[in-house]
Amino acid sequence: MSETSCYILDNGAYTAKVGFSNSKSRIIPNCIMKAKSERRRPFIGSQLDECRDASGLFYILPFQKGFLVNWDTQKTVWDFIFSKECCPVNFNDTPLIITEPLFNFASIQEAMTEIFFEEYECQSLLRINATDLAEYNYRRTHKNDCTVVVDSGYSFTYIVPYINGKKYKDAIIRIDVGGKVLTNHLKEILSYRQLNVMDETYVINQVKEDSCFVSKDFFADMEIAKKKGPENAIVKDYVLPDYTSLRRGYLRDIVPPEEDLEQQTLRLNNERFSIPELLFHPSDVGIQQMGIPEAIMHSINSCPEEHTENLLANIVLYGGNTLFPGFRDRVYNDVRSLALDHFDVNIELPDNPITYAWEGGKYIFRDPEFYSFCMTKEEYEEEGKPLAFERFDI
Amino acid sequence: MTSRESGRVKDAERRKVLDDVARKRRARKAVEALEQDNFHEDPHADLVMSKKVPKFADSNEKPTRKKKSKSAEYYKMRFRKTFAQLVEEDASFRSKPPNYLSAQAPPSKFPERHFCAVCGFPSNYTCIPCGARYCSVKCLGTHLDTRCLKWTA
Ligand SMILES: [Zn+2]
Ligand SMILES: [Zn+2]
Repeated sequence: MSETSCYILDNGAYTAKVGFSNSKSRIIPNCIMKAKSERRRPFIGSQLDECRDASGLFYILPFQKGFLVNWDTQKTVWDFIFSKECCPVNFNDTPLIITEPLFNFASIQEAMTEIFFEEYECQSLLRINATDLAEYNYRRTHKNDCTVVVDSGYSFTYIVPYINGKKYKDAIIRIDVGGKVLTNHLKEILSYRQLNVMDETYVINQVKEDSCFVSKDFFADMEIAKKKGPENAIVKDYVLPDYTSLRRGYLRDIVPPEEDLEQQTLRLNNERFSIPELLFHPSDVGIQQMGIPEAIMHSINSCPEEHTENLLANIVLYGGNTLFPGFRDRVYNDVRSLALDHFDVNIELPDNPITYAWEGGKYIFRDPEFYSFCMTKEEYEEEGKPLAFERFDI
Repeated sequence: MTSRESGRVKDAERRKVLDDVARKRRARKAVEALEQDNFHEDPHADLVMSKKVPKFADSNEKPTRKKKSKSAEYYKMRFRKTFAQLVEEDASFRSKPPNYLSAQAPPSKFPERHFCAVCGFPSNYTCIPCGARYCSVKCLGTHLDTRCLKWTA
């Protein structure tokens, strides 16, 4: 049996990346949202586009600490995603690739298997880690033997080394810092220093995305940020959206008070780079864990020594946090300074780091072995859930 | 401001010092707050969900489904487990590393850096009562007036 396309759902804790393998992916918020302006109407997934005023918007999320625990929320969002309103699919004749977190808990794995075979009546199912898809994507273009995949997402950041296409599980490292911690910290410090924005997760997440960058030289930038006047190239104002004339805020230079346009603004100075810095120094906020470059080195050093050179030469980054300007260069500089001089270090940031794993799904579907990776409904009915644990290496 | 308070009150506050346990609790609470997924509870949780969520699966325009689907509520009950339960279960399912807990990044070997709790710039001083960091007399004043011993974790 072989179908012309499959359905790929990279089911992230913050966004789901979804679409058919023969077309483009769409990015859908994996949550239900409620707005202060329209209290009685929930917005599911991309219905958020219909929300006129996103101030005070809040999220009801299927994931908690990176794992799927709120099944009613997830079922509602999936029903939306699979419906005509979003990206309709018939799983009777379309195989499904769906991603799960690394080390996903057993009962969540069982629930995934059950819901897709019984509720959504899948004929062929491949449950897989997003990092596996990313590694597949990378190996396809680089023809390399070993890869280090760095997935910096919403809930956490994972460092996963692959040797000859297989996860080397003993060396997998999870840093409990992701986009969520960054946004929460920004919310906290802005609320303390300037304006209470504790209820504005959605807006502050945009402030973070629009304003923050990864510093190349952290303490030098701190010195710049201390300066007054034009010497301080870092300090900016963020114009907050008012949802009448402005739907999304933006960063602008500071204007003299007499030119003030009566916009509500947030002053951003060292916040612009001390927030993404948490990915490199989690201990700055009391999370006693290594940052990304140190964890990459730790992971590589936990692999068999003969692969060190190969691993250092093939490090690939993806996930929302990798979009911060300067992210790749900083990872490169730090890993370069930690690695032995005679090894080459190569760090790749793909063109679209959000959908990189999803794109990998397209290629794995074309693998001649694809159907041997999947489980079929018949197999499920005959052998039940235990087979899924054998088949899928989650 | 501190200067407006009477000397007696100030002295009384000065003598209070958070013990180590309280400081650790405060630090732990701060990290927990950062790792929160849903900062807000849904104030209308009971009101809205059952009626207002469109039932996509039930709509007869939907071409892909033949059988009647089960409700979101059914799956909520069917797979209900807290994060803590899941972690505990994992200890028997994947008792030997590598597993979720073993994958956690170890502490950094680099020295810790310290930042002013008020302005975020590098700091060299520690507040005696609570252990927070500050960078200047001005920031210490703000800290004493706003946080320090005023919010209890
Ligand atoms: Zn200060
Ligand atoms: Zn204090």
